[in-house]
Amino acid sequence: MTEAEKIKVHFKPDNVEIVVDRGENLLEAAIAAGVRIYASCGGSGTCGTCKVTLEKGEVETTRTNKVSDEEFSQGVRQACQSRVLSDLTVYVPVESRLEKAVISRERERVSESLATGWRFRPPLTKYFIELPPPTMKDNTSDLSRLLRGLKKRYSLSNMSVEFSVVRKLAKALRDGDWKVTVTTLVTAAQPGAKGRHEPKLINVEPGDTRGRHYSLAFDIGTTTVCGQLLDLNRGRVIADAIEFNQQISFGQDVISRIAYCQKPGGLEKLQQAVLNSINTVIDELLKKKKVNIEDIGHLMLAGNTTMTQILFGLDPVHIRMAPYTPVANFFPPVRASSLGINVAEHVHIFAFPAVSSYVGGDISSGVVGAGIYQRPELTLFLDIGTNGEIVIGNSEWLATASCSAGPAFEGGGIKHGMVATIGAIEGFRIDPSTWEPSVTTIGGAKPRGISGSGLINIIAALLRAGAISQNGKFNPDLPTERIRPGTDGYEYVLCRAPETQTGKDIVLTEVDIDNLMRAKGAIYAGCQTLTTSVGIRSTAEFNQVIIAGAFGSHLDIDASITIGLLPDLPREKFIFIGNGSLLGARMTSFSTDLLDDARRVAQMMTNFELSDSVDFMNNYVAALFLPHTHAAEFPTITKELSRLQKQRARQGG
Amino acid sequence: MALDIPKTRYTGSIKQVKLGGGDKAVTIGGETAYPFYLFEGQMPNLPKIAMEVYDSPPQDWAEAALEPFAGVTGDPVAWAKKCIDDYGAEMICLQLASTDPNGADRGADEAAALVKKLADAISVPLIVWGTANHEKDTEVFRTVAEVCQGKRLVIGPVEEGDHKKIGAAALGYKHTVSASTPIDINLAKQLNILLGNLGIPDDMLVMDPTVSGIGYGIEYCYSVMERMRMAALTQQDERLQFPIICNIAKEVWKTKEVKIPESEDPKMGDIKKRGILTEAMSAAVLLLAGADVLVMRHPEAIRLVREILAEMTAA
Repeated sequence: MTEAEKIKVHFKPDNVEIVVDRGENLLEAAIAAGVRIYASCGGSGTCGTCKVTLEKGEVETTRTNKVSDEEFSQGVRQACQSRVLSDLTVYVPVESRLEKAVISRERERVSESLATGWRFRPPLTKYFIELPPPTMKDNTSDLSRLLRGLKKRYSLSNMSVEFSVVRKLAKALRDGDWKVTVTTLVTAAQPGAKGRHEPKLINVEPGDTRGRHYSLAFDIGTTTVCGQLLDLNRGRVIADAIEFNQQISFGQDVISRIAYCQKPGGLEKLQQAVLNSINTVIDELLKKKKVNIEDIGHLMLAGNTTMTQILFGLDPVHIRMAPYTPVANFFPPVRASSLGINVAEHVHIFAFPAVSSYVGGDISSGVVGAGIYQRPELTLFLDIGTNGEIVIGNSEWLATASCSAGPAFEGGGIKHGMVATIGAIEGFRIDPSTWEPSVTTIGGAKPRGISGSGLINIIAALLRAGAISQNGKFNPDLPTERIRPGTDGYEYVLCRAPETQTGKDIVLTEVDIDNLMRAKGAIYAGCQTLTTSVGIRSTAEFNQVIIAGAFGSHLDIDASITIGLLPDLPREKFIFIGNGSLLGARMTSFSTDLLDDARRVAQMMTNFELSDSVDFMNNYVAALFLPHTHAAEFPTITKELSRLQKQRARQGG
Repeated sequence: MALDIPKTRYTGSIKQVKLGGGDKAVTIGGETAYPFYLFEGQMPNLPKIAMEVYDSPPQDWAEAALEPFAGVTGDPVAWAKKCIDDYGAEMICLQLASTDPNGADRGADEAAALVKKLADAISVPLIVWGTANHEKDTEVFRTVAEVCQGKRLVIGPVEEGDHKKIGAAALGYKHTVSASTPIDINLAKQLNILLGNLGIPDDMLVMDPTVSGIGYGIEYCYSVMERMRMAALTQQDERLQFPIICNIAKEVWKTKEVKIPESEDPKMGDIKKRGILTEAMSAAVLLLAGADVLVMRHPEAIRLVREILAEMTAA
């Protein structure tokens, strides 16, 4: 067998180079070189987001309709569809790049933790103890001496001991001159189980280290990995960090990730990708506060079922196939270092319990953090992203459902859509007499694309101005050049080429509007179907609506109600909690009571499958309208739209 | 103790729509109860039957359907007059089949001239039906609407994809719009809202839910129409309170079951009787579901349906 020919690939503007075998896929080469390319479909060639320009060299490419003749002649190729044949220089244009820094933006009106009544009592505890040195009269073993001392001094009994502690014990006791600090960990009690938690002795250190007592809370999202460094002595978050989940280059949603896991070596690659992201976040957290890695004692994480399984190296294949079974809802604690997370050997991971394949630990975490299970008032909890997760209930019962909204809210399937980073259009206003827009972007940069929340704001404003009708179609008769025929029906020009980062017009097309209507229709129909499934007459009966999720926290309530994404309730009923998944992970790191609740809550939630519900399909078609086919569902919006229409008619006539 | 018969609580009624003009004008709709629930409410206007006339001689019709119109199928005006004079048609539905761009692709001006000629020749209301090709229907109906100003035609199918342009033409020249959607209650309602937003008055709108005949999913059509009436009459769903038109003839007569000769499949029985009964029974089902106008073809089937109507509404 001859060795494969080696090819050099140079990526611009990063100016990094990698040597690969001839025939290697260009997208895989870019990922290997650390060049981050946006590939929302996971390399199947269907999304057209991974376009690159060949400056030198040759590739063999499978052409799809995502590359126009003009682009092709200019050397534009889809990285995922190209195999390298000769030494290459490839330029990655701005619209295909995944920004390195994700910006963490907090909403001003984010309510901190809504769960109440819990005691500050972290599951991870440090005890300092001074032991009598052994003598000929008292030469009991080191371990017995330690356990005896702990029982006497702290009334700790029934403890189990990790073997790694035994290994370190003799040296630690003598190095510390019989003064040591031990770390114990409790895991969630079985619901209904009587008796106390049984702590596990997981670490021993010489001397008094109680002053250095930290743990980590993580949200493992499909798009981003967010981490927090917690000071367990003070009960406070001392550092935050966020990174893209590196799996994003293998597909944007859970389904494409699961599909990728079916390729040879796919699961290992995805597991490694998320581990890299976690390790990067840990590095950043520790650097920010100059905390030593040995002083981290625990890791609490929450993620959806697929993310959790991939992190643990468990093939998620059955999540995707009927009857949709996860490997486990409640994972036993795992040693973090055994997975490849850069923390000390004694650190365990506690993953938030899941409810079903599509209602994961991120949701039970949000429900615990928001305290829905503690209050008698009827609450609607919504986590909106690629998947819409819905929980309704109160202290008596909890019902959940999940509906696939598609990637539109994260910019997928939208001609100029993008994730919410610098340069994404978010704010939008339109002059109702000239139809001229004014846009604002995240970070105030030159526009590069449209964020999910921007899309909602734009469509709401166009609807109010009468530029689109209730079926999401443009009114081409308006006297403006902003509305023009394009390749996907009519389109509205948001920014002209000279004003943009990409040097091309940024437009919103009728197909984009259709995709957004499907996404919002799925979420609203999901809420409606779950609501009526549990015997509640309408969404008007909710006392409170809690919006979780990074996407959710940047939603404009009025715009979201205008397009029919959120129910038309008094605006003060809406509460934002930001990243609910991270919130729950943090709070359970502080309170063993909440940790117990987490397990109880996950078991308390009844999951409703919407995929085979006739009502859901019916509600979905009814929701494919702006704001909705049934005007009575959106009374204030209907009134406002008809007022605006009359006003226009008066001015026009 | 007297028995209290439970009654449906109605909160709405179907809007009345007047079709055509003069003394042969027809009013449809106005129901205040479910179809034929005369013990609970009124049907002030009994369902009407429109007879089909084609703008060109039919090529693939069953013998049984051609027979009653022998000698007139080449002349739409004579055909329509035969329907009215011999078979008592209350309305005529002109099918503009020859404008189909995938067929004869007859031009808009020619089609409009024919519609005008026919509208001038008859005094019963005239329904004009296109080919559901959005571009072509738009072109044809814009001309038809203008040329036939004052004739108060019913124009259809008006679908989501062409509702703006055809709707605007109908509105400008005062014709009634038949809103056509693929058998779905929500889609029907959405189009009614859009046409309302366009300014089409409620008494100039009828809806065509897209129906099929027996053996081709009529149960589904029935249940969608039934739900439309439930929403309109008991759930205050104003945008569904419109009369329903059912274009049933062409659905029935194009099926294999009415065309296959008895010699080829003896167990199918007499071909003529078979076609007539399929049309009549399909029409009867749609009446029970809430049809206000039936577009029908065979005079014998029409006679049977009238008999059913008379018996159902006999005091």
